[in-house]
Amino acid sequence: MSAAPILRVDRLSKNFRGLAAIADVSFAIEPGSITSIIGPNGAGKSTLFNLVTGYLPPSAGEIQFQGRPITGMATNRIAEFGIARAFQIARPFRDLSVFDNVRIGALFGKAGPRDVAATTARGMELAAIAHLADQPASTLTVGQLRHLEVARAIATRADLLLADEPCAGLNPTETAAMIEVLRQIRSSGVTVLLVEHDMPSVMEVSDRLLVLDAGRLIADGSPHAVATNPQVIAAYLGTPEAV
Amino acid sequence: MNLIAQTLADGLVLGGIYALAAVGFSLIFGVLHVINLSHGILVLLGAYLALIFSKALGIDPLLTLPLVMAVLFAVGYVYQRFLIQHAVDRSQLGSMLLTFGVALMLQNVMIWVFSPDMRNITPSWAFTSFHIGAVNFDAVRVSALLASLVLLCCLALLLKFSPLGRVIRATAQQTMAARLCGVNVRHVYALTFAVSAAFAGAAGIVIGIILPFSPADEATWTLNAFVVVVLGGVGSPAGALLGGLLLGIVSTLTAQYIGPSFPNVTMFLLLVLLLLVRPTGLLGNAFSASR
Amino acid sequence: MRLNPALAVLLMVACAALLALGPLVLPPFYIRVGQLMLYSAGLAVAWTILGGFAGYASFGHAAFIGVGAFAAGLVEARLSGVSPPLLLLIGLAVGGACCAVLSAAISYPILRLRGTFFAIAMLGVSHVCAELNNNVDFFEGSLGLNFPAVAPKDLEPATFFYWLYLLAGLVVLLIAWQIRRSRFGAGLLSIREDEDTARMLGVPTERYKRMAFVISAVLTGQLGVIYAHSLGYITTDSVYRDDTNLSLIVYSLLGGMGTLFGPVIGAFMLVFITQVVLGRLLDFHLFATGLLLVILVLAAPGGVLGLVRSFQLRRRPAAAPAE
Repeated sequence: MSAAPILRVDRLSKNFRGLAAIADVSFAIEPGSITSIIGPNGAGKSTLFNLVTGYLPPSAGEIQFQGRPITGMATNRIAEFGIARAFQIARPFRDLSVFDNVRIGALFGKAGPRDVAATTARGMELAAIAHLADQPASTLTVGQLRHLEVARAIATRADLLLADEPCAGLNPTETAAMIEVLRQIRSSGVTVLLVEHDMPSVMEVSDRLLVLDAGRLIADGSPHAVATNPQVIAAYLGTPEAV
Repeated sequence: MNLIAQTLADGLVLGGIYALAAVGFSLIFGVLHVINLSHGILVLLGAYLALIFSKALGIDPLLTLPLVMAVLFAVGYVYQRFLIQHAVDRSQLGSMLLTFGVALMLQNVMIWVFSPDMRNITPSWAFTSFHIGAVNFDAVRVSALLASLVLLCCLALLLKFSPLGRVIRATAQQTMAARLCGVNVRHVYALTFAVSAAFAGAAGIVIGIILPFSPADEATWTLNAFVVVVLGGVGSPAGALLGGLLLGIVSTLTAQYIGPSFPNVTMFLLLVLLLLVRPTGLLGNAFSASR
Repeated sequence: MRLNPALAVLLMVACAALLALGPLVLPPFYIRVGQLMLYSAGLAVAWTILGGFAGYASFGHAAFIGVGAFAAGLVEARLSGVSPPLLLLIGLAVGGACCAVLSAAISYPILRLRGTFFAIAMLGVSHVCAELNNNVDFFEGSLGLNFPAVAPKDLEPATFFYWLYLLAGLVVLLIAWQIRRSRFGAGLLSIREDEDTARMLGVPTERYKRMAFVISAVLTGQLGVIYAHSLGYITTDSVYRDDTNLSLIVYSLLGGMGTLFGPVIGAFMLVFITQVVLGRLLDFHLFATGLLLVILVLAAPGGVLGLVRSFQLRRRPAAAPAE
């Protein structure tokens, strides 16, 4: 707990016409870790992501990235600072090859085009899709497209990757592959913030869990601590056997 | 004062006709999401058919309306079902290009068959006029306007109250759900296009009795329709009427006060302004969910 | 790029040299067809910088042909005692500058439109320019504008213009090629594929679109200047033509939308079909172009190069299974 947090969220709230989607949420993410946000459906996980990436302006509270306040900033400005987002519904450049897709990230990522070839290669390797380099993105499977989303995001030299349900709709083999990719990304020094429903994978790969329920943060700690937290069990995890 | 009243009156009359000429285009855009660049050609087809039928049958051009509409209904159905549908499945640009291609082909055919000269279908009672107060109205234009308004009303009633209208609106609002309810979407699309073509043909007759026409006009009528839709909103006769009236008044005011050669410039500037400020038109999209 | 750049350059030089021999061996009719082919190819590539690369398909690029031509003509008419080659250069400079100013100015509102709206708005621009050109006396559009003869004295004008079009076409192709290989070009492609995602990844979409628009307009205008000189006398209808608007799209569609050489192939093919195959059947041109467009949309939306590519892909062994 010695390094300065890469992302700090302070008393963040978001209201939609009287409904508190996010209420008074505070947490700090350590650099080089994998943190997962979990919670029942409708808990506000996606809203939280949207607030951090600037898609939505918060109703109250502050967000700081690497010490710099980014509350309410536009999405592409935040992207310039080094936050990248991999979407659940992948948006590849269909007519371009996998290589060209990832290369866009490297060409236009944080701090301009440097070592484009190396960065592109690294992005593809970390996401385990180097063997698909010449294939047009339109020929990829859903699982491969998720990897491409991640590769492209990594190629922007982001320091923080927000992954939006990367395992949704994937079979167990594909899920395991994606989890392994996230591990590799953490090893390369990039911090990962994850929203995910697949509990076994989340438990296995996360350094820390944040649990949201009805817009509030009800638990924040190691997977084991969270899994044995009675409040969390009551709200979401059901029985201890799920651990 | 008289001049401006006259100009406005002329604009309204012209506007009603523009509205009829655009409503088919609007419907196709709203329901099929296709920009039909062959719209103008269908309008002209109506005019030329009226010319043929009225000569062949020896009747007033306006009386050929049902016949022309029927022919264009059939043509429209086949065109959409067997040609455009395939392009729609690919991309919006594709359907635009396809209809552009067909427009050129038909324009060429019309030039062969009818020659590129200007024609008109002036009826025998063409030269009477009357006034209301200080404003002059000429019988042909007024009857054209009345025909337009009646047809627009019929379409509005059709869309709102008839089973066909309901199915069209449902398909436009939620295509997948309509499919799941058993609607044959391709058939509905084809019927929508057929209705649109019929009204385009009707508009052609109305235009033909007041203005000279030639195959080269087709682009103008397509562009006019597009402007009316942008101005008034997509998918509804009311939107077409509003857009048409607006366009009509702007056209006559420009012709009167700026110069007879500049109506297109003003229209275009208005178009760009609206595309930037309110691209869905004044009445918005008739088929989208309310905000 | 699939071709080794050095090899590609060699091929281009070889083709250019071969084409340059044209006027020395061909009869006059074919020299004129050759002129039209090279002119159309240049226009097609200039159009594709915006339409094929960035995905903003303009239905009204004839506007720039007209603006370039008339700007050059109006200026040249007022200069006296200037040598013909210099006149042409001045004309090119003026034509290009006017197109740059016009395109830069309208780019702000018009590039905010997407897809079909952009296409139609550009068609509107073309019609408005044509109308103003025809109705405002200053532009001498309805009267017509004369252009000074600029061909060197001991050279056949037809040959001169053929070589001029060849040179101009090569310059345009080179510029487009450089764009395609650059970071700017990669950005344009990403804009075409998914503009919002591109912006999210840091591509300066607004700036790049504007640059592509202006470059495309300037090159188109300058080709128009050459065209006007080769005609010697132009009116509004010589340059502001809807069939040009359409053809520009068809060239890229026929050859392969989004590729660099596709527009060239498409232009050569379409000009050949209309001028040589259908040459005597003038009445057929509109019909044939329209029919070709219909067939392309339904059967071969990727154009000639698209067919080649799908043929290649079909022969490629199946991709390795996902990990």
